[in-house]
Formats: sequence, C-alpha cells, structure tokens
Amino acid sequence: MISVNNLTKKIGSVNALNGLSFSAQNGKITGLLGPNGAGKTTCLRTVFGLLKADSGNTEIDGIDVAKDPMQAKQQLGLFPDPCGLYERLTPREYVEFFAQLSGMDIDGAKEATTDVLSKLKMEDIADRRCQGFSQGQHMKTALAQAIVHKPTNIILDEPTRGLDVMSTRILRDLLQMLKEQGHCVLFSSHVMQEVAALCDHVVVMAKGKVVAEGSPESLCERTGKQTLEEAFIELIGSDEGIAA
Amino acid sequence: MKLLTVLFKKEVLDAGRDKRSVMAGLYYAIGSPILMCVLFSIMLKQFASPDELKITISNADVAPSLIQYLDAKEIKHSTDEDVKAITLEISENYRQKMSEGRSAQVTIIADKSDDKLRKSIAQLERSLMQYNSEIASLRLLSRGIDPTVMRAVNVQVNDQATPESKGGMFLGIATLSIVLTLFYAAMNLAIDTSAGERERNSLALLLSHPLSSMQIVLAKSGAIATYSMLGLALILVVSKFAYAMVPWEQLGFSVNLGIDFILLCMVIGLPIALMSASLQVFVSFMAKSFKEAQTYVTMVLFVPMGLSMVTTYDIGTEVVQWLPIAAQQHAMIEFIKGNPLPVPQLVISTIVTLLLFALFSWLSSRMLKSEKVVFGL
Repeated sequence: MISVNNLTKKIGSVNALNGLSFSAQNGKITGLLGPNGAGKTTCLRTVFGLLKADSGNTEIDGIDVAKDPMQAKQQLGLFPDPCGLYERLTPREYVEFFAQLSGMDIDGAKEATTDVLSKLKMEDIADRRCQGFSQGQHMKTALAQAIVHKPTNIILDEPTRGLDVMSTRILRDLLQMLKEQGHCVLFSSHVMQEVAALCDHVVVMAKGKVVAEGSPESLCERTGKQTLEEAFIELIGSDEGIAA
Repeated sequence: MKLLTVLFKKEVLDAGRDKRSVMAGLYYAIGSPILMCVLFSIMLKQFASPDELKITISNADVAPSLIQYLDAKEIKHSTDEDVKAITLEISENYRQKMSEGRSAQVTIIADKSDDKLRKSIAQLERSLMQYNSEIASLRLLSRGIDPTVMRAVNVQVNDQATPESKGGMFLGIATLSIVLTLFYAAMNLAIDTSAGERERNSLALLLSHPLSSMQIVLAKSGAIATYSMLGLALILVVSKFAYAMVPWEQLGFSVNLGIDFILLCMVIGLPIALMSASLQVFVSFMAKSFKEAQTYVTMVLFVPMGLSMVTTYDIGTEVVQWLPIAAQQHAMIEFIKGNPLPVPQLVISTIVTLLLFALFSWLSSRMLKSEKVVFGL
C-alpha cells in the first residue's frame, strides 16, 4: 500500500506538488492521470525518495520513505521514465543485477530473472545486448526489472509509451495478474483508454493537486459525461496540455 | 558489502564492454613508452655526437689559424643548403691586428631571437672564447708572464654522478609517463560511468534501489581503479622491454626496470589509482553533461601532471617531495637509481593520497543525495 499525505514540493519557482494526497491499495490498480506538467513524475520520484518533499510524507506499507528509505525501498519496484537501460548489458544481466540490488541472492536472482523473462516472452532477446533495441523491447526489459523481485508495490511511470498492440496487451495482462496476486500497482499515464481499461481507482491530478478520485465509472457519473476523456476535461477545467 | 560486490562486478563488466574507452586507455599504456623510446634514442644521439655546425665565414683567408681551430671543433664554412643562418665576419685588418698583438675584430651576425639558432650561436661563441684564451696565454708567455695570473680562481669540477644518476632527466620523463597512466588510462571509463550514467537516465533508477550512494561511488571508483591498474601493469611491462632497446651506453648509464621495480610501482600506484578514480568520478558528477565532464576532467588532471612535472624536472622545493604523486614518483626514481627509498615522504604522501580518496568519495556520495545533481534541476 502506498499513501501520499499532503505533499508539497517546489522546483525552482514552480509549485510542482501542491498539497497532494491520495492512497493506492493492495490488490488494486491505481492510475495517476493528469496533463503534461501536472506533477505526476515529480510525485512518483518523491514516493521513491529521489526527491525530498518540502512538507508532507509518503508511506510505503506504513514505512515513512523519508525516515527509513532502505526499508521502504525494499518493497518497491520502479519502472521509470525514461527507462534507464545499460546498453552494453543483456536483458538477463540487467534484470539479474537489479534483482540482486533489491536484496535477492545470486541463485534466487538468476531463477527469478529466467522466470520473469519467460513470462514477458523475452527469451529471444534475453541474451542480446540492449543496444539497438526497439522502444517496445526497451520497455519490456525495464518492466522485467521492475517486477523481478516481486515487490508488494509496483510503480510505473508512463508504461505504455511506444508499445505496440501486442506488447500493450502483454502489459495489460501482466498488470491484471499482479493485481490478482495482491500487489499494489500505481501507474501514471495520460492515455485515457489505458486508464479506463485497466484502473480500479483513478486519481486525477492537475497543478500538483488531486482534482478528483474514484473509479472510472464514478468519475463519468459525477461529471455526467459518457467517456473518461470528457470527464477528465470537465474535471481539470480546461483542455490545455492533454495532447499525448 | 554484498551489494558493493554486485555493483563492482556490474561496473567492471559494463566498462569492459565499452571497447573504445578501454582501447583508448590501452593505446596510451602501450604507445607512450614506445614513443618515449624513440624520443630518448634521438636525444641520446644528439648528446653523444654534436652535429657538424655549418656556417658562413667571410674573409676566411686572413685568419687561417682561427679557421683551422674552428674546423677542429666541427665548425666549418659551407655553401650547402643546410648551412645555418650564422655569419662569422672576420675584419679586413685581422692579420695586421694579430701580428701587432692587439685585439682583432670578428663579428657574429645572427638572429638571437631564433630559438633554433641559439644553441649553434652558443657553440660558436664558446669556441671563439676558447681560441681567444689560448692566443692570450701565448701572448702572455711571449712577454714572460705566467698565463695563470689570468686565472684568479681555479675551478675544478669533481663529477660524482654515477651512471644511473646521470639518467635523472630520462628517468623523470619515463616515470612521468608511468604515473600519468593512472590518470589517463581509465579517464573515459570514469566519465562514462558517472556523467554518462546520469545522461542515460540509469542513475536515478540505481538510486531508487535500497543501497547507499556511498556504495555506488565506491563500486564505481573501484572498477575504474581496476582498469587504471591494468593500464599501469601494461605500461610497466611494455616499458621494461622498450627501454631495454634504447642505446643508453652512449651516455654511460643504463635504465633497467626489473620485476622488483614493477612490483614497487604496483604497490605505490594502487592508492594513486583509487584517488584518481574518485577524483574523476567527483568531477564528472559535478559537470552537467558528458561533454562538460570531459572538459573538466582534462582540466583537473593538470594538477597531478604539474606535480609530476615538478619532480621530473627537479624544480620543486623540499615541500613538494612530501606531496602526493610527487613523492611517489620521486621514490620510483630513487629506486631505479639504486638509492634508498625516501620512506617518510612515501608513507606520508600515501596516507594523504588515501585521505583524498576518502574525501572525494564522500563528496561524490553527498552529491548523489542532491536532487540538483541527479536530475540536473
């Protein structure tokens, strides 16, 4: 479970986060929805302890990230934007490396890596160096890295960018599977279809604040709109910056 | 500790696959001793037999004995193409003045600001002075005066140089290239693993895992130092064989790099390698981009180079001998010369080197905690 309480964060002269509060429950997929520059990435980086909030706190499974970052990070898997691959390593080496960093021993890491690579149908590229990979192959490698150590909480920053239909489907199935296993999945996106199709809970963000939250259906209902896209525009009050 | 090993292994593997950077370091380690050897061979040749100096001498027929004297000193009149732009003009009344026992005028016409001529002019002047004092002595003798009255101070030089110590400057340059390997062999790798890591966005991902920034910095420095030491081992082996081919006998000394010297260099080189790695990582993290890091690192490396140069040309004060790098290089030179090692200087400078390694590592790890550095905000 991830809970974000009243976060504020100023970057330069911009209030990137402005009293942000929400929580993501175990066994649910929570979507962080917002236009470009709403503060989604800043929020996720704060959850990871990479940025320090000016005020407010973030808890992962009840552990305050600012107070005990090591313990809190044990329970996290991150799929960052951008991916941050090591181009000279193969996906197998890459995933194994991060599995060990997350605390697995070498045999456990090897086994878990083989497991996750086959789950993502990556056997054909598993032992090729990442250099020259397509966008989709990049994304899959990064995703494998995020879930290899089976963390309770998985955070994905714009996970569907650049994926083809097949890969998007694999990702969707995977997130559903993680949800069924009881993981807490939090992802940010600005692609409405994705959020509508996947999320149990949607947090709509604009200008560093939560504008509305609830299930996709309840958001449509509240605004009296047919689709999530229209509901979203109604909620943030303008159609600025929605271009994906 | 376990995480440190995992990080270190990954850094070594990742850097090892960066063929171009590794090769750049190896080229330096292999190339510089070979280049030095060619350079030394040319220098030694010049020392051993100064070239014939060809100049223009006008009015030569009035001063046959002077011409003969200069000829014996390898200074000759010539009309060849490679004649130096120096003219020795003997005055018309030379013969008359000489026979009267008075001062006869000769004029050297040359451009003294021309660096290439300076040595030749000095050679000509020296020969003329010697000729001058020889004739003057003869004149005194013919007047019944002991020529030694002209020599108020009798300067005697007692050269205590041993064959090995004569090669001091050569040893300085040779050890300079060895010490600098520790800074240049892994320079590209150091920049790639720090500034490059951030530019490829993998740094943030790394930091979001449960490990401390100190572990990351130490693993990186360790991996870079490993490649520096590899470069050091290589340059020592190449130097051992390359310097054996230089014709040292011409100057009456020898440079012999034995296995014991190689081992000594590896031992005193390790702290320098660690310090150099942590310094380069620190500077690279300070820069905003890969390119900026390249500029900064190159600039910062002037400091160790300067320290090493001071030792090479022996222009430093006593204090310099206690400073890191300078002291270690000094110890290497003393070892080759067969002198006892300057132990106190070596110990103090090694401790300072390790303290600098600790300082740079700490500074880097502190920087990795800063949002500004990690995300370039």
